Amino acid sequence: MTGVPRSLLALAALLFVLVPGVPAWAHNALAEASPAKNATLKKAPSEVRLRFLQKLDPTYTTITVSNAAKEQIATSAPAVDEATGVVTLAAPLTNGVYTVAYQVVSTDGHTVKGSYQFTVDDPAPALEPGPAVEKPDASAAAPSASVTAETGPSRAAAASSTTTTIDIIPIIIAGVVVLLAVAAVFLFLRRRKA
Amino acid sequence: MTVTRRALLAGGAVAGVGAAAAAGLAAAGSGRSEGSAPAPVPVSFTDIGTGRVAFHGPRQAGVTTEPPAHAAFLSFTLAKGTDRQALGRLMRLLTDDAARLTQGEPALGDTEAELALHPARLTVTFGFGPGLYRAAGLASPVTDLPPFAIDRLEDRWSGGDLLLQICADDALTVTHAQRMLIKDARPFGAVRWVQRGFRRSAGVHAAGFTQRNVLGQLDGTANPRDAAMDTAVWNPDGSTTLVVRRIRAEIETWDLLSVTDKENAVGRRMTSGAPLSGRDEFDEPDFAQLDDTGLPVMPDFSHVTRARMSDPRLKILRRPYNYDEAPDAQGRPDSGLVFASYQADIDRQFLPIQRRLAEKDLLNEWTTPIGSAVFAVPPGCSAGGWIGERLLA
Repeated sequence: MTGVPRSLLALAALLFVLVPGVPAWAHNALAEASPAKNATLKKAPSEVRLRFLQKLDPTYTTITVSNAAKEQIATSAPAVDEATGVVTLAAPLTNGVYTVAYQVVSTDGHTVKGSYQFTVDDPAPALEPGPAVEKPDASAAAPSASVTAETGPSRAAAASSTTTTIDIIPIIIAGVVVLLAVAAVFLFLRRRKA
Repeated sequence: MTVTRRALLAGGAVAGVGAAAAAGLAAAGSGRSEGSAPAPVPVSFTDIGTGRVAFHGPRQAGVTTEPPAHAAFLSFTLAKGTDRQALGRLMRLLTDDAARLTQGEPALGDTEAELALHPARLTVTFGFGPGLYRAAGLASPVTDLPPFAIDRLEDRWSGGDLLLQICADDALTVTHAQRMLIKDARPFGAVRWVQRGFRRSAGVHAAGFTQRNVLGQLDGTANPRDAAMDTAVWNPDGSTTLVVRRIRAEIETWDLLSVTDKENAVGRRMTSGAPLSGRDEFDEPDFAQLDDTGLPVMPDFSHVTRARMSDPRLKILRRPYNYDEAPDAQGRPDSGLVFASYQADIDRQFLPIQRRLAEKDLLNEWTTPIGSAVFAVPPGCSAGGWIGERLLA
C-alpha cells in the first residue's frame, strides 16, 4: 500500500461527495442561442431559437424580442420541441440592437429568467430603413405585426451590460476551482504530515 | 399579590391608558368595586362569544357576511324515496333549529343547551345539490362541474344532495350546531362528507383583512367589494350558487421554492400581497407592464394573471377555509383549502375562471383538487318561514 493510490482514492471520494451537490443542476438554464449572445448579424434572422439544458414545458415558456426602444417585436407563440423553444418573427428585423428575453420553468418549479442582446447590421438592407409602412412581403405574415421603429443604420455595437443570462460555464468553472482548491489543501496537509 | 398586580397596572398606565380606562368603565358598569375586578380583559373579546348574525332575511346569512374563524361543510345524500313533502319537513326542522342556534338559543330538545349560549356569530347556510331537485321532481339550476385535467377527485369529498355550511368564531359552537343539525337530518339521509376548516381567529387581524392560506399566500384579495359584491353574488330573488372544492396543498414541494419562485407562481408578493406590477395589496395588476428585458412583469402563467376578471359581473366571491388534518407517519402534511366560491351563476362566472386556471396556472404544480360539489343556495326566509319554501311547499 503506497500513499499515492490512497490520496487518489480520497480525491475520488471527495468528487463523489461534492459533484452531486452543485446546486444549479436541478434548475434549467440556457445552453445555446441563435442568434447568439452579442452576435452581429449581416442578415436579419427569421426566428429566435433557444436550446436549454432540460426539457421545456410549453405551457410555462415565454420568449420575447424587443428593440432598442424597448418595444415588443411581434413573434409567433413559442414552438417547443423537447429542450428547444423557437419564436418566428412576424416581419423582418431592421438594423439595430435587439434584446431576447426568456422565462421558463424548471421541472422543480423554479422560474429561470434571462436575456441577451444581438445586433442586426445588414450592409445592404433589402428593405429601406424608416417607418416601415409598405412592405411587399410582410403582408403574408401575421396580420397584426407591431412594426418596429428604426433606430437608423448606425453601427451599434452589441451592448451587453444588462444581460442576466445564466450560463453554466461559470458554474462548471467554479465547481472545478473548488475541487482543485480542496485537492490542493488535502495534498498540502498530507505533505506537511509526512 | 393583588397589590403587586395593581401596582403593575398603575405602572403600565402610560402604555395602557385606554385599556385601563376601558377596564375601569367595565368594572363600574357591572357595579363591581375596583378592588375585586379581575385582570382586565379587552372589552371587544367579550363580544366575540355573544356576537349574533341575523338568520332571517331575503338572503341567507353566511355568504357575504365576514367569514368567522371556523367552518364545517356538511354534505348529505338523501335517503331513497325522500320526496318533495319529506324535503319540506326536513327543511322546516333544519330552518327552525338553525334560526334558534344562530341567535344563541338551544335547539328544540337540545341535550346540551349550555353549548348554545355563545353563538359567536354562528351562521348556517343551506345549499341544494342537483340530486335534491331530482328527488323533488324539479329542474336543477346547477349541474356538476365538467372534469378538468388537473382534477384528482375522490368520491369521499365530492357531490351531495344537501349542504350545510356552519360558520362561527368558536370551534365548539360549530361542533354543537353540527351535532344538533345532523340529528335533525339523519332520518332523511346519510352524511356524505364533512369538511372542517379554519381561518385566522377573531382579534388576530382587523376586520376585513385578507386571510393567509396554508401556503402562506394572501387569499381573497381580488374578491368583489361593496356594490360589485351584490352584482357578482346575488340573483334578484336572493338566491346564489356555491362551489365547494377541496384543494390539497403540495406543501412539501412548495417549501423547496425560493420566495421569488413562489411570487412568480402567484403573481403577488408573499409579504404584502401586492401584484408584482404594483406596490400595495389592492393595486390593480398591470398585465401590460414589461421589465427592462421585455418580459411581462406579471408572468402570463401566474395564478393572478390567469384568474383575473376585470368585469365585476364575472368575479366570484372566494370564501375559503384552510384545512389541516393529521400528517402521515413521515410527517408529510395533509393540508389545503376548503375552497368555497359564491357567485350568481356558475356557468357564467366560475367556469370560465376554472377553465383558464386548469389550462395554464403555474400554481397548479402545488395544488391538487381532490373534491368538488355544486349547490344552489336558495333565498333566505322571514321569521316563521323556512329555507326552500318557494321550491318545496
